[in-house]
Amino acid sequence: MPMIQLSNIERYYTTGLQKTWVLRQINLNINAGEFVTIMGPSGAGKSTLLNIIGMLDQPNNGEFLFLDEPVFQMKERHRNELHKQYMGFVFQAYHLIDDLTVYENIETPLLYRKIKKNERQSIIAELLDRFNMVAKKDLFPSQLSGGQQQIVGVARAIAAKPKLLLADEPTGNLHSTQGEVIMDLFKQLHAEGMTIIQVTHSEKYATYGSRIIFLEDGFVRNDERIGS
Amino acid sequence: MWVNYLKAAMRNLAKQKLLTLINISGLSIGLACSALFILYALNEFNYDRFHPDVNRIFEVYRNTGKIDDPDRSMDTYLPMPLGPAMKTDLVDVEEMVRMRGAWGDEFIRVDGKVGKMPLNFADPSFFRVFNFPILYGNQQHPLQDHNDLVLTRTTAVRLFGQENAVGRTVEIRNGEEYVPFKVTAIFADIPAQSSIQLDALANYELLSETAAGERYQNHWNRSSFQTFVKLVPGSNLAQDQPRLDAFRQKYYPGEEAERRSRGLWDREGIPVTYGLMPMAQIHTNPEFFNGFASPANPETIWLLIAISLGVLIVACINFTTLAIGRSSGRAREVGIRKIIGSKKRHLMFQFIGESVLLSLASALIAILLVNYLLPAFNELANTNIDFNFNRQLLFFLVIGGLTFITGVLAGIYPAMVLSSFEPLKIVQGKLRFSSGNTFTRSLVVFQFVLSTALICATLIILKQLNYLKSSYPGFNKENVVIVNADGVDTRTIGPRFKQNVLAIKGIEGVSGSELSLGEGTGWSRSGWNDGTEERSAYEYFVDPDFLKVMGIELVTGRNFNPEIAADTINSVVVNEAFLRAFNWTPEEAIGKELKGYYESAERVLPRVIGVVKDFHYRPMSEEVSPQLFHQFPDYLPHKYFIRLPSGDPAPYLTAIGKAWDEVANNIPYNYAFLDENLDRFYQSEARWSKIIGWAGGISIFIACLGLFGLSLLSSMSRRKELGVRKVLGADVFALIYVQIRNYFVLVALGILIAVPITWYIMHGWLQHFANRIQVGPGIFFIGAAGSLLLAFVTVLFNSLKEATHSPIEAIQNQ
Repeated sequence: MPMIQLSNIERYYTTGLQKTWVLRQINLNINAGEFVTIMGPSGAGKSTLLNIIGMLDQPNNGEFLFLDEPVFQMKERHRNELHKQYMGFVFQAYHLIDDLTVYENIETPLLYRKIKKNERQSIIAELLDRFNMVAKKDLFPSQLSGGQQQIVGVARAIAAKPKLLLADEPTGNLHSTQGEVIMDLFKQLHAEGMTIIQVTHSEKYATYGSRIIFLEDGFVRNDERIGS
Repeated sequence: MWVNYLKAAMRNLAKQKLLTLINISGLSIGLACSALFILYALNEFNYDRFHPDVNRIFEVYRNTGKIDDPDRSMDTYLPMPLGPAMKTDLVDVEEMVRMRGAWGDEFIRVDGKVGKMPLNFADPSFFRVFNFPILYGNQQHPLQDHNDLVLTRTTAVRLFGQENAVGRTVEIRNGEEYVPFKVTAIFADIPAQSSIQLDALANYELLSETAAGERYQNHWNRSSFQTFVKLVPGSNLAQDQPRLDAFRQKYYPGEEAERRSRGLWDREGIPVTYGLMPMAQIHTNPEFFNGFASPANPETIWLLIAISLGVLIVACINFTTLAIGRSSGRAREVGIRKIIGSKKRHLMFQFIGESVLLSLASALIAILLVNYLLPAFNELANTNIDFNFNRQLLFFLVIGGLTFITGVLAGIYPAMVLSSFEPLKIVQGKLRFSSGNTFTRSLVVFQFVLSTALICATLIILKQLNYLKSSYPGFNKENVVIVNADGVDTRTIGPRFKQNVLAIKGIEGVSGSELSLGEGTGWSRSGWNDGTEERSAYEYFVDPDFLKVMGIELVTGRNFNPEIAADTINSVVVNEAFLRAFNWTPEEAIGKELKGYYESAERVLPRVIGVVKDFHYRPMSEEVSPQLFHQFPDYLPHKYFIRLPSGDPAPYLTAIGKAWDEVANNIPYNYAFLDENLDRFYQSEARWSKIIGWAGGISIFIACLGLFGLSLLSSMSRRKELGVRKVLGADVFALIYVQIRNYFVLVALGILIAVPITWYIMHGWLQHFANRIQVGPGIFFIGAAGSLLLAFVTVLFNSLKEATHSPIEAIQNQ
């Protein structure tokens, strides 16, 4: 049973009398444990697809089954629960909360999941340790480099132990050494069993994954598995 | 979770220092205003509740119905035998106490030194009915003998220099001699929140021994005394009107029939009866004049609270509009929190929590402000509130509640807006922010409606006040000194004093009068029935020089003439209002007799010899009432009116003082200026102008603070646009114009709404005055221009800063 089943997903925007197509007839199955990279030129619909999978956006047509459950037929509360329980997000612009420290940023998703204080502390301590950020835990985002901010972003995304990690150009704002650090992290997470879907422009970073989906003008043009 | 929110909130506040300052200062001023007026209200509504039995104590009043007026009138000046009769006839009455307030100051002598002291009288049961603890002396029977005297602690210290003055003697002047009184007990000072205020208390029984008292004793038709009763627990006498009616009928058996036959009463029930006013309600019942402390009008109290809440709302609005204005800064946080699992509920909680936090901080500052401002407030509102942290538990509960409500009210709209942002749009940077929507704009308009209305109202009150004070009252009130001759036997001393004063070079005239003129100087009003109608007039006993000294104009007839003996027996001079009441022309009036006026076998009926033009001897706010002057032989002058030449009065005051000391052995020289006495008529208007003026000033200050914050936010967010405009060739004026025109529209709209509302309300207020100003557009123009100018200056500051910024910097930063 695939984790994600998309059938005939379509997304368009109406401007005036004109429809602008973003996604067309997308049929995709993604299994648990895959590391999928979505590639394609600007405007191909990569981020839209990722947002639909992340339940942040809704398509105009089509069906989306997540763990065999029809996502767009369920009540919003239920959908929010799924979203909260299974998904973690990493953004190109990091999107850390400026007024919270590194520690508190990582803690925030745990708070929304009502995790007890002791448990929170041990989860965060483990993450900080793993990502070598222990010394920086009381700094604010503005005091970190871009790469460090993105490491915090990844730590925050996986703190609540999601099944699926969605990353929208996670290395887009980073220079190459920093980018590689992030991609190595992803690779490790994948090896530990995490399902990852990333959007990227970089051929090199695409090779870290197990499958590349190529989008163009809203259609899936190519879908290949790569040996790792 | 709370800690997380709290941290985010604190850091956010710290980052936006200027906005936080604006919010906190506005809210703390608003809360301090409300706190003061709530303190005031609690104080007023808590009067007399320090008597443990307050629910069983009532003041008796007489309830008189009139044929042409559906409202019955209440008064508390009751006959002497009423109290004992109630105790005998009505089993519910456990205890009664009759009282007579102090009629001015008595002259007293302590260890040979002459001083003054107000003296009240009460039955010995006073200390059993009320809770006034005795500190020293006879606890059981303080006022047992007729010459016993009880003092408050402060009075004892003032007279004897020590608290325990039990056994000492105070001599009180009665006629020409001093009578010794023995101090039998000292009781604790009376709390400020007591309707009964007194310094010294003598035995009520003593009154019946005086010449006047004998006339009152056992006499049901002479009324001059207050009566309080304490009912047995569980009594319903206060609600049982039939029993009170029956009691009245027992002592006035023919009254109903007589009034009906004379056509003075035609409705059901008996025309005059008694009622019991609960002690706790006396202070806040404005129609109930009890002869002690002046009551507070609950309408006034609520109006003050409404005004202060208005100021608080203006401050809340600042919080709301500023929070919306900077929502773009918080939006990203909202988006991220939502993506990582926050629900809308969590965010609502978070943002409302932030505003409650801010209002809590403001409340702490507000309480410090209250503590600091209370003395000034007491002076402004003429109250005597003390701020005691232990006793004001209720106050702190109310303020705590108000603070919480303020926080929620201020935070709820921004919380709703912020928490409903769609996360995807925010992270994609697609959400467009404007510095406000129609709702927040209407809030700004409301701020200026309220502020401008208060300012215009203040201007109108001030103008009316000035009009009342400066209008010609019908006599020459300038340069007149009133010398107080209370307690002096003016029959012998008066002529010599007048002679001495007239001998001072420059003095233009002296006249003796029974009463002074002006607030708090008393008046005497007499009523009589002339066979067809109830008549009443204010009586003034004056000597023949009065009209001349005061510059009162004679319309027809003549003034009193010292050569004509009849003038001191039955001649009266009346005013025009008197003629109107009788429907007489001035010519007809001369020689008319006043039928029924003090009619008795030995008296000759008064005859009108002259008519004077109406003059305002009472506040200008009232119509002039019928008035009559006479110089019947059984009254003495108590005041001397002395007309000085214009210029420096000081040398004349000294000279008059010398003239006084020569004739009045040992009685202190005591004077006042007539125009100042008259100005005191308008104390309440003067107080209102100050209170509303302050409220208006504070409210416009807070509103401008908010405007400042808004313009700061919007100028910052428009930096790029302004830079582009500048590169395209806009000059500084054009840039300022594009920034301030929106605010200008909002403020102008607020003013446009405020003007008709203020006009309507103030027009209604002015109807209370018989003599009033016309409210023209001028006053509104001044108020509106003031608001607009203030707003303009506020907004100009930020606009100017942005307009003079380097455009390159602004564009490159984006």
